[in-house]
Amino acid sequence: MSNAEEAWSVSKLARTLKRRVEDDFPPTWVKGELVGVKRYPSGHWYFSLRDEMAKVDCTMWKSAAARLKLPLEEGAEVFVLGQPNIWEERTSLRFNVVQVLSASAMGQGAQAVEKIRQALAADGLLDPARKRPLPPFPARIGVVTSTAGAAVRDIITVASRRWPGIELVVANAAVQGTDAPAEIVAALQLVTRVPGIDLVIVGRGGGGKDDLAAFNDDGVCRAIAACPVPVISAVGHEVDVTLADLVADVRAATPSQAAEFALPDRRDVEQRVHVLGSMLMGAAMSLVGSKQDRVARTRERLGGALLERLRRAERRLLNAQGRIAPALARRVERPRMQLARLETRLAPAMHRRIARGRSTMERLAATLDALSPLAVLGRGYAIPRAADGNVLKTRADFVPGAPFTLTVADGTVPARVEDR
Amino acid sequence: MSDTPATLGDDLKRLEEIVRRLEDDELALEQALALFEEGVGRLKAAQERLGQAETRVMQVLNEFAADGSPKVLPLDD
Repeated sequence: MSNAEEAWSVSKLARTLKRRVEDDFPPTWVKGELVGVKRYPSGHWYFSLRDEMAKVDCTMWKSAAARLKLPLEEGAEVFVLGQPNIWEERTSLRFNVVQVLSASAMGQGAQAVEKIRQALAADGLLDPARKRPLPPFPARIGVVTSTAGAAVRDIITVASRRWPGIELVVANAAVQGTDAPAEIVAALQLVTRVPGIDLVIVGRGGGGKDDLAAFNDDGVCRAIAACPVPVISAVGHEVDVTLADLVADVRAATPSQAAEFALPDRRDVEQRVHVLGSMLMGAAMSLVGSKQDRVARTRERLGGALLERLRRAERRLLNAQGRIAPALARRVERPRMQLARLETRLAPAMHRRIARGRSTMERLAATLDALSPLAVLGRGYAIPRAADGNVLKTRADFVPGAPFTLTVADGTVPARVEDR
Repeated sequence: MSDTPATLGDDLKRLEEIVRRLEDDELALEQALALFEEGVGRLKAAQERLGQAETRVMQVLNEFAADGSPKVLPLDD
């Protein structure tokens, strides 16, 4: 060591070791033999787990031990789920266990699940390319779960917050026990027969590993795959991924999260509607601005229905402006950023629109000019033309004694200028 | 159960298309006005849809209506 001041304190060493070990160490299943099992009066359990080569000390706190399904027996082969933990005061490592399963139960269950997984994979049901996108704005969502469970309440709560006005259609099914697979399959088939269902959430609240068996069932997985609308699985378990999760179009960790995935956030959509409204207004205003004076001039030269249509169109525009403006004003404080973005987008759009509006109007005016004689003639006016076809517009154009024609609504009439 | 021919998604998609056409396209006045008018209608429909407050929760029964669809009942919370 070159410099004594670089030496670490023991605390720093302990703290660093703790961080290095504990950070990013996910909950992990470990297989081993239980030795030195002791239950303290506090309710916590202490034991070690060992195999032929190594041994690790374990703790299981009272809260986790309360969920134990089997007593911890000296010498038993078990699977434990846990994470390592370092006690800084002694820099001693303990594996903190949250769940214990007997090896035989675990082994049999795991083998059966693996067999089903392989069958599903062989039939292509686990292919990521099968996954369907969720509808952006579902109107009616099917929910397959137990109406007595927490999952349905969680989904209702989240759905009401994100997207009031949504319709949830719940199909009741047992989610654990021997009847669960058949009931889930039947509920899935039933709910998708309700008209208008755009999406199905199938799941349950948090449960132990044994409780998830229905979601590793072959029939349930195939029913999910066969569902005519996208399916979100929501088997509330953070650690385990079930086969249903693999087959579903989207996997959510919990029912609440499933509702979040299923529905857009109302506030986001409100902003989008607001921005679209502003853009519509901007486009309309530039349209009106560029055309208004041209309309005014055209109005003087046109009578009848066309003018009335233009007037109506103007009124509709003004009306619409009046309807939208208060709505915009109410929301100005929120989407300030959006407005800024909108401005940068609208300004050039308005300029372009004005320029284009002008040429549009020129074309329109030309069309109107071409049409106007017909309308005018229809009301009893006539156009005098000289023999060469030129229109006779002033007194000077009429040469005494000269023949000319009058174009009227339905044809021409020969005429002659009398002496003035 | 109400029939909803156009969804909010339809309205928003159409609105975006209308705005794009008004901004980018060379349109005759009448066409532009018709588009704008439709846009205002869609905007209103979208806002009304967003204003809906009630979440409806129903339970599907294992009983069927004449058209073969399952019957549903409001679910008591």
